[in-house]
Amino acid sequence: MDKPLNILVVDDTEPNLALISAFISKLGHTAILARNGQEAVDLFRETSPDMILMDVMMPVMDGYQATTEIKKLAGSKWVPVIFLSAAVQDSDQVRGLQAGGDDYLTKPINLTILHAKIKAMQRIADMQRVIVQNAEQQLRDHEENEREQRLAKHLLERIIHSDNELDAQLVERLNLPATRFSGDVIVTEFTPSNTLHVILADSAGHGLSATLNVLPVVEVFYGMTRKGYGIPTIARELNNKIKHLMPTERFVAAALAEINFSERTIELWNGGMPTAYFATHDGKITRKWQATQPPLGIMDDADFVSKTETYHWTNPGSLILYSDGLIEAENESGEQFGKDRLLRALGEKCDEGQFWYLIAAANKFMGLENTADDISLASVRCPMHLPSQDSAPSIFAPSALAIEPSESKLTIKLGPAELKSFDVLPWLINWLAQLKHSQKHCQEMFLILSELYNNALDHGVLALDSRLKFQEDGFGHYLDLREEQLNNLQYGSVEIDLERVMENQVPYLKLTIRDSGKGFAFDSVLNTDISASAKPAGRGIALVKSLCAEVEYQDRGNQVMALYQLR
Amino acid sequence: MMKIAVEKKEETARLTLNGRFDFSSHRDFRHASDEALQTPGIKEIAVDFTNVDYLDSSALGMLLLLRERAHNTHIQVTLRNCTGIVQQVLDVANFQRLFTIS
Repeated sequence: MDKPLNILVVDDTEPNLALISAFISKLGHTAILARNGQEAVDLFRETSPDMILMDVMMPVMDGYQATTEIKKLAGSKWVPVIFLSAAVQDSDQVRGLQAGGDDYLTKPINLTILHAKIKAMQRIADMQRVIVQNAEQQLRDHEENEREQRLAKHLLERIIHSDNELDAQLVERLNLPATRFSGDVIVTEFTPSNTLHVILADSAGHGLSATLNVLPVVEVFYGMTRKGYGIPTIARELNNKIKHLMPTERFVAAALAEINFSERTIELWNGGMPTAYFATHDGKITRKWQATQPPLGIMDDADFVSKTETYHWTNPGSLILYSDGLIEAENESGEQFGKDRLLRALGEKCDEGQFWYLIAAANKFMGLENTADDISLASVRCPMHLPSQDSAPSIFAPSALAIEPSESKLTIKLGPAELKSFDVLPWLINWLAQLKHSQKHCQEMFLILSELYNNALDHGVLALDSRLKFQEDGFGHYLDLREEQLNNLQYGSVEIDLERVMENQVPYLKLTIRDSGKGFAFDSVLNTDISASAKPAGRGIALVKSLCAEVEYQDRGNQVMALYQLR
Repeated sequence: MMKIAVEKKEETARLTLNGRFDFSSHRDFRHASDEALQTPGIKEIAVDFTNVDYLDSSALGMLLLLRERAHNTHIQVTLRNCTGIVQQVLDVANFQRLFTIS
């Protein structure tokens, strides 16, 4: 049995009305009766029937005009109209169809054909209804999607911020999404000791789902950088986080770098990103970092390798990071931009870095308006001298309530296992930050701590000779040796005492670091003048000296005490 | 559309891929993987890249999924005949640490 319909029957002759309505009732449908066009239009409004059988010649309003009005009233809803007429001329049929009729039936009416036509119209009406419903659903989905995308875009813009002036001077960036959202992100942040961390991450896929992948990356990167963690520790945490949160087939290729502008070093970890370059201003590539590891989120923690590669720059230049979207971008004839064009642009001489040469080359080659893949490019300026420190980054919010410091003490002793694997500095600086010191104090204390701790570890426990750094390529050699010796370390320790003391009612931080090394003749070191020192070693201790009220080597030179004024 | 042939030879199920291996191959690759994984008595699934001219990051994701599923049933996944761009993409992603690649 078909679905029962409400059928509006319009005819000015009673016998016809009676015949058709009886037949319709017999078929299980309901007939609504109208005796002229005007009545039909009124009843259509009141009853919204599913179908209309319409006579042509009627008083008051004829069938053509009634049909035109009814179709207007129906709007996007399709209500089939079948004309019933004695007129058999082709021109009459055409006129009926032009008025909006859907079919034609000649009088006298053949009931079998009427039945078949009702069924056919019903089929079409059902199809029509489904199409309209789908279109409406699609429109709702589209609007919903738009709303969600706007929200996500807002969220993303809030999370990825760059409000730091120094950062803006140093880092140039381009991020072109293939769709509205990019699976690529470029994020930078300063550590408490004023080194710059940069990550360029490329998530598998494009669009919103790819962006979702990179959100946890951004959060972890910011959080850990602000706390002072190093690149290897951050890379490992990112890997674990992505592996835990994302399904197997989702991963994030990333290059993470730490740029230390005072030491002029770049420490980089590359997991699944294209080769990163250091290009000098006179157009030479002096260092490249190929991907040494799979992307983040694939390896188990036990198999993850967080080993970084460090470069010491001796000529001003730029660190260039980019996603594969750049070299794989195709021009109109299907040719890829490729590594050769990239290297050619990096070969240009330019005091401001080659970033804009690269952009110009890419734009000329393929146009940067419509890209098939997300394209991103970051360039970090690496000058020979630190840019002005006026706009020093704000890592720690100044505490609103400066509490009057009381005396407190923290002592920690690290053995070989801890020296190898435990990132102790962020942990210590976090403790100091909890004590509500000002931002300036926190940064300076972090610097003092890290200089003295690294000296104790490098020159004390590992007995590395800092004169190594003077030699040709000495810096890289020094770092390799350091890593090797640290990995093989079996004996040795570093003890750290952080104590807050009052002297003449002035609060001080008293830092004592003691290592298990042989010590050294310290008289000459403390007399190094920071401004006169162009040597790569010895500057650290001179810097510490300039920040502290007092610095003293003790015992055989294996213990150092620094007194830092907290007011 | 990528055509994937699955054949069994001794203890190896060989998946021979054709054309571009990217997101649009997702369904086909999934079906082919199911077929290969359900082949009785195999110890290895060999994915043959001879006729593949491109693969993207979602293809890498599909390979990782296959590897995980195979691993659960103690089947090894190897990537065969990787040359040119395929080799380059696998190199950059350091997939030699995850698969046997030839």
